[in-house]
Amino acid sequence: MIELLNILYYYSKINCEEVITLGIIYIGDRATGKTSLALELTNPKYNYVRITNCQYQDLKDKLFRDGEIQPTAALNSLYENSLQVEVQLPAGAKNLSVNWVDTPGEVWRKSWRKDNPDNWQKLLNNIQESEGIILVLPPYREMPSLNSSVDSSLFPTKEQWCQRFQRWVNFFQFECPKAQQITICLNKADLFCNIEKEESELGYHPRHNRKGWFERHSYVKQRYFKVVQTQLDQISSATEGAPVRCFITTIHNRSLLELPWLYLASQL
Amino acid sequence: MGNLVIIGPRSSGKTTYLCALAYWPQRQAALHHQSIFDVDPIGEDSENLQKQAKNVIMPQESLQGTKVLTFSEMAQYQFQIKVKKKFSNKTELINLVVRDSAGELFDNLASGNINPDHEEIYQDFLRKDVVGCLILLGDWQKEDDEDYSASIKNFLSFLDQYDRNHDLKIALAMSKCERGELWTGRIDPYLDIFGAHLSQTRLVLEKSNFNQKNLEFFAISTFGVLARNDPRPNRRDEPGKKGKWSVLREPQKWKPYNLIAPLYWLSTGKKLGANV
Repeated sequence: MIELLNILYYYSKINCEEVITLGIIYIGDRATGKTSLALELTNPKYNYVRITNCQYQDLKDKLFRDGEIQPTAALNSLYENSLQVEVQLPAGAKNLSVNWVDTPGEVWRKSWRKDNPDNWQKLLNNIQESEGIILVLPPYREMPSLNSSVDSSLFPTKEQWCQRFQRWVNFFQFECPKAQQITICLNKADLFCNIEKEESELGYHPRHNRKGWFERHSYVKQRYFKVVQTQLDQISSATEGAPVRCFITTIHNRSLLELPWLYLASQL
Repeated sequence: MGNLVIIGPRSSGKTTYLCALAYWPQRQAALHHQSIFDVDPIGEDSENLQKQAKNVIMPQESLQGTKVLTFSEMAQYQFQIKVKKKFSNKTELINLVVRDSAGELFDNLASGNINPDHEEIYQDFLRKDVVGCLILLGDWQKEDDEDYSASIKNFLSFLDQYDRNHDLKIALAMSKCERGELWTGRIDPYLDIFGAHLSQTRLVLEKSNFNQKNLEFFAISTFGVLARNDPRPNRRDEPGKKGKWSVLREPQKWKPYNLIAPLYWLSTGKKLGANV
């Protein structure tokens, strides 16, 4: 109830302020849940991040077929959508006009790049021009708390995951040295942690935050990114902008879902 | 209205310093701190600084670097500082307009190969209606001293070129003095910070034909320390960023040190005691 009152209080203070235009791009391997993350953000049941120009159902109808989300079309290389995002920050509402770019997982394969040099260049330009980059990663098989009912063969092994992560490090280091904001989301958190417990640790409350951004990042890094801590520091030192920030996300917990957006909105 | 400019290397904390200044009234209230100063940020740009303090610094994040902009594109941060006079009911009012520059501008001075766009910005910075310049430095290693002295040497040649050697005031300040290596030097920064760590930089200024009466040395700490009897820095450094990115360690204890003294001196020529 207090939460609801807080939300109402903040919404009562919305004023007509300048809209900031931003490019935010989702990248990540195949089937990591990039499109679902973005789609779920438009869900009208929100806390502090609201999409004002896009209807959840319309977008869902567009992206779903036979009850399943369709893989983003690799031939188009980019799926672009303009989102009006309203984010409640401690100093009030911030309106962002976000050029949301979703990328199909296939593009990260060497063969695809070789066969589609023009599309690859287009994608690269988009990434390099984006103010915010959201890298979405899947969990790995050996995660100690991975839900036993899940078919773990769907996920990479720890070794594969780490090798892939190193490729992302190289990508940021050599292709995006000027990146301003890199956020890394370990997605499908509902499969490897108690999301309610993590929500209570990490959740965002404009007036009485339990943790600041740095503390949230340290918490997530310690618990879920321990195997790549050195590589994370490597990304931060290799890029010009802000240090990389890590999150755990899931479409089944609004609070965790909104965190990267709240972070990006406060920074950009 | 006193026009001031702030220059300094990348990550020396120029914008964070201005945010702290704009957020000063809220911090004072939160700390129940009585000061002889009151700061009133005026206008949209200064209000944006307040928002950044609230949205970014208080929730433990670092601000992004400032982009290179032309003089007319730069934000104009306007402040009214009220100084309560001791032993009387009178209040002194100081109105300031401050322009913050990208660190790249200062860093590129060191090479001597000055970008023509930057040169234009310096030309605007050294207009006659600009009364003072706050130079904020962030590091103290030998190689930093070499870079800073090279940049300042070229900055001084701009002063010569635009005939500002005698009437511009320069406040040379070491920022982030909450760091253990610097905190004890804050009482006498001329000797214990600039003399001990940045002697080459100090010498370049002192040996130049710049009017020495218009030169003063300061120690500033935007983040401050945890408490009067707990001098641990109220900061946490970001791994992988070579100490260049830091965030508040305990936001609720955020109490900047010596923020106003350099601005007060640049505007009035009068020095203050520290810790105001």
